[in-house]
Amino acid sequence: MSPAAASAPLITIDKVNKYFGSHHVLRDVCTTFQAGEVAVILGASGSGKSTLLRVINRLERQDSGTIVVDGIQIRPGQADTKQLHALRSEIGMVFQQFNLFPHLSVLDNVSLAPRHVRGTPRAQAQAQALELLTRVGLIDHAHKYPFALSGGQQQRVAIARALAMQPRVLLFDEPTSALDPEMVKEVLDVMKELARSGMTMIVVTHEMGFAREVGDRILFLEQGCILQDAPPEDFFTRQQDPRICAFLGQAVR
Amino acid sequence: MKLWPAKWGRQQRSSASMVLATLALVLILWLCALPLSLLPEPIGSNADSFADGVRTTVELTLIAGLAGLLIGIAAALGKLSRVPPLRWTAAAYVWVIRGTPLLIQVLFVYFALPVIAPYLQMSDFASACVALAFNVGAYNAEVMRGGLLAVPRGQVEAARSLGLSRAQTFVYVTFPQAFKIALPPLVNNIVALLKDSSLAYSVGVLELTNVGNRIQAATFQPVPILIATATIYLVLTTVMTQFSDAVERRFDVEGQQA
Repeated sequence: MSPAAASAPLITIDKVNKYFGSHHVLRDVCTTFQAGEVAVILGASGSGKSTLLRVINRLERQDSGTIVVDGIQIRPGQADTKQLHALRSEIGMVFQQFNLFPHLSVLDNVSLAPRHVRGTPRAQAQAQALELLTRVGLIDHAHKYPFALSGGQQQRVAIARALAMQPRVLLFDEPTSALDPEMVKEVLDVMKELARSGMTMIVVTHEMGFAREVGDRILFLEQGCILQDAPPEDFFTRQQDPRICAFLGQAVR
Repeated sequence: MKLWPAKWGRQQRSSASMVLATLALVLILWLCALPLSLLPEPIGSNADSFADGVRTTVELTLIAGLAGLLIGIAAALGKLSRVPPLRWTAAAYVWVIRGTPLLIQVLFVYFALPVIAPYLQMSDFASACVALAFNVGAYNAEVMRGGLLAVPRGQVEAARSLGLSRAQTFVYVTFPQAFKIALPPLVNNIVALLKDSSLAYSVGVLELTNVGNRIQAATFQPVPILIATATIYLVLTTVMTQFSDAVERRFDVEGQQA
């Protein structure tokens, strides 16, 4: 995928800092994400990967710096509620623990947000939800409740739920880390299909194979800084940085 | 439950149980004078008085119970609020109500409030409703707060990340899950309320206990009258728990209670 270099980036992150108490989690992070791009964020635990993802849709509030998503500018301090909802309905998020709504059927999980945020009529929202469930291969499970599904199936429902809002970008926060090994593939396959369809994706993961095969770009975070931003070829085969080499060595083992 | 056909689904069985319990309550309210009148003296001749007492007791419980549920939800939200004055108000309310006897509260609403503010003069029945509602509300508040805190943080994050507002997140995601968790202790509170409604006796409301006591004072037959009164309470709480069991089953999507 080669994004048009001339077009304005979909997401711009400018000198973003974030502290948890005295712990400096993000340090002057600056980067941009183009529409249609699949960016993979790697790094050791505690390097700020998840936090970087979570400041983009304001699940965490940055302490300084600016984030612009599709023209919506988010600054530190109290955000305008309307603007925040606009931002969040542009951005889908998939969590490590799926976070499906256990009291709602699979169909209702997927159609809830379009109905109440977009105001889509129930029948139409459900028809769209069924289409998305077909896409992730779960049409037969539409009327089940989340507890009756395997982890991999739950995560695919979570992806369908995020897609139902027709977001401009999807954020994945370690989407396969809570899964049994045999279920990782089915989730990665859905993500690959999404990447092929041109969806903009920012993925925090430890799946090196996925990063290499699907990523357009690898961002390596260390102690809240972007240590390296490189195409997967360079990152994996021509790696110079000793710290990243050490990380990759451990990750392979 | 063996009552319903095995092929019925969870929701159907739950709905059927709710309808049946509601019908049973309505039948008790309108027709309980009939079986009571067949009982020997001194119950039979006072069946109509007993029936009036039952109706008043049920009305007190339903009105105070529903109001108490709303007050409890509001106070729980207050205690969890990010706005300090709301938090303080809710905490003070729970502190005072749980820390003082219900009998004092009933007497206070009926006798003391009109002295402080004459426009708060209410009938004996209304006073009892207000006191009972605020009393059960304080206990409900703590139960609801526990339920709300038990909903995992990720649920709120998922809802907010989809663009749902704070209010929508509460209505569609947090509250249904919290209510399910809080239901058994809430039922405890409502059953306690049904029995505590007998304290309305102290301000002259002619509810079941008061009726029983008056008849006893006139007939000097404590044994049959107190047994009859207690039995009627037992029937009422039984119908109530049947209804709440059905509600619980409706929320039990995971089939934890076979």
